Amino acid sequence: MATGTDQVVGLGLVAVSLLVFTYYTVWVILLPFIDSQHAIHKYFLPRAYAVGIPLAAGLLLLLFVGVFITYVMLKNQKVTRKVQ
Amino acid sequence: MTKLAQWLWGLALLGSTWAALTMGPTLGLELPLTCREVLWPLPAYLLVTVGCFALGTVGYRVATFHDCEDAALELQTQIQEARADLVRKGLLF
Repeated sequence: MATGTDQVVGLGLVAVSLLVFTYYTVWVILLPFIDSQHAIHKYFLPRAYAVGIPLAAGLLLLLFVGVFITYVMLKNQKVTRKVQ
Repeated sequence: MTKLAQWLWGLALLGSTWAALTMGPTLGLELPLTCREVLWPLPAYLLVTVGCFALGTVGYRVATFHDCEDAALELQTQIQEARADLVRKGLLF
């Protein structure tokens, strides 16, 4: 078994993924079948955010990956130019 | 058929089914309101589910990975011996 921080990080990731999955499932799948007067609805944002937030997060991720690739490529170009 | 072609086929099938059902009312198909409410975020839901599954699997495998303490120590001593040997032979680190 892995030790120390490895275990903590690993189990933390599992917990986070389970949490996100449960919340999102309740939000998207279960809420429409629950009476709109029920108290549970105040714990969830309007449904438009159920598509908006993952979309924004995905775009941010793509942006980050693009910036990282650009940075690495520019650094390589500068190194080859210095060697020449 | 290659794996990529299979995946694309499957996605195209699911995507066209979802598009047909979501645009249904504009073509005359009537679904109950709750079904439509559940239907339209489904692609985003599937993406988030796949992402959560991937994250959970990575986390689980990190937590249950079998460390080999002895092998790690042995490897580190071997690295130090190799460095010393190379420095003796003139390689600059």
